[in-house]
Amino acid sequence: MVRKDLSRGFLSVLGGLLLWEVLTRLLLENELLIPPPSSVLRTLWKLGSSGALNRHLFATLFEFVCGFSTACVVGILLGYLMGRYRWFDDLMDPWIATLYSIPVIAFVPFIIIWFGIGLLSKIIVVFKITAVAIMLNTAAGIKTIDPSLLELAKSLRLKPFETTYKIRLPAALPYIITGMRLGVGRAMLGVIVAELMAANAGLGYLLRDASETWDSPKLFVTVVLLAAMGMGSFALIRKGEQKLAPWRETAEW
Amino acid sequence: MKGTLKLISIFGGLVLWHILATRIINDTALLVSPLVVVVKGYEMLFVTAELYPHLYASSWIFLNGMLLATLVGVPLGFLMALSPVVRDYVNPWMTALYTTPRIAFAPVLLLWFGIDIASKIIIVFLGCVFPILINSFYGMRVVSREFVEVGRSFRLSRGALFLKILLPASVPFILAGLRLAVGRGLTGVAIAEWFGATEGLGYMIFFAGQTLNIPILFVGVAVFAILGILGFQILKIIEELATPWRKGFEVK
Repeated sequence: MVRKDLSRGFLSVLGGLLLWEVLTRLLLENELLIPPPSSVLRTLWKLGSSGALNRHLFATLFEFVCGFSTACVVGILLGYLMGRYRWFDDLMDPWIATLYSIPVIAFVPFIIIWFGIGLLSKIIVVFKITAVAIMLNTAAGIKTIDPSLLELAKSLRLKPFETTYKIRLPAALPYIITGMRLGVGRAMLGVIVAELMAANAGLGYLLRDASETWDSPKLFVTVVLLAAMGMGSFALIRKGEQKLAPWRETAEW
Repeated sequence: MKGTLKLISIFGGLVLWHILATRIINDTALLVSPLVVVVKGYEMLFVTAELYPHLYASSWIFLNGMLLATLVGVPLGFLMALSPVVRDYVNPWMTALYTTPRIAFAPVLLLWFGIDIASKIIIVFLGCVFPILINSFYGMRVVSREFVEVGRSFRLSRGALFLKILLPASVPFILAGLRLAVGRGLTGVAIAEWFGATEGLGYMIFFAGQTLNIPILFVGVAVFAILGILGFQILKIIEELATPWRKGFEVK
């Protein structure tokens, strides 16, 4: 049996694409404004088979994975310390809060000036954005732990390390994942911005290339790829959330 | 005692920054001392007054985008909460729009709407609309189960049920959504002004970045940070005033 909401969603996507195809074919003489889905697909195939796409996709993914994974380690570590030790929190908080409230994109010019236009600057952009989000959320999770859990740890005579590993971190896990989810969206924006500004590979570079040469099908291919990347990473995080913290209700989006 | 460590942190950080800038790096194309940034900010505010046109242009785009996002986001969120059919049909498109990095739409919007203010407002709108929509949706959904029964037992008509129960009960959620939208809206402003703008804070930052004018770059970033904190706090106060009966509702 097909679920009703899924079939409606499928219908909506199919109908929308069909409408798009028909309208663009009937109403528009050239493909500059809105290329029909079929020509977007054709361009995707062409770019994919020439290998150009792989290069850009790989560059962006590589930057993203490197930055994100370092950010997870550093963010959880510092966030844990901020949650545990009041003095450390007081010390870090003003700077972290400032960093967090600056729009991603206002930060990128600095990082490019300091770290150049290569891979490193993009990895640092991703790292900075994600680490701050994870840090703040981890600290919140560690701080708001249920005191009865700590009492339980005490009565079981757990060692400090065990308390951290078995009680505090699992209790903070939902918060950490929320931080990751917030980080993913912002970091993806950051990496694309950085590539748009100065790069020689990556989806952001492709986006800029396409828009500067008025190549609409290529532009739309890039947008579609970015959408796919965005949706893919959100789905991954949600899967991870269900696996790591199954007791928690997941948000619908 | 409580705030001292924070003060020490701020002060110490600034001193370190100053030393780093003047003694160790000593290259104004890379980093300048915070003192230089403050002086530059003062100059741009009170001497040359060159900050105001940028501030004005950016605020205008931001406010319009926010307003549009509220006008679209709140009703659509309600509609999706009340009708599963609408939700199922809108959902896939919304997810795609929401999860795509917004900057991808900028060149497309530019292509469609030109470099006018319209394309900029739409970019801000795209950033703001989703937190507002999602929070309105959750507000209406979470609330409806609890209070609708009460309304029914008082035999309220559908309109009265909406106006007297559903709407007021979802206000805290909507306000929380607006609060989340501020940050995303500011990022939207910066993105929008990057593409084909001649004024605005985003333009100022990118122009400074291109010409390696570090003091202006820092001033721009600081203004963005201040605006973000200010908007967040203002909405927090509005939230407390508008809904004194409850605290802490938001969907992250």
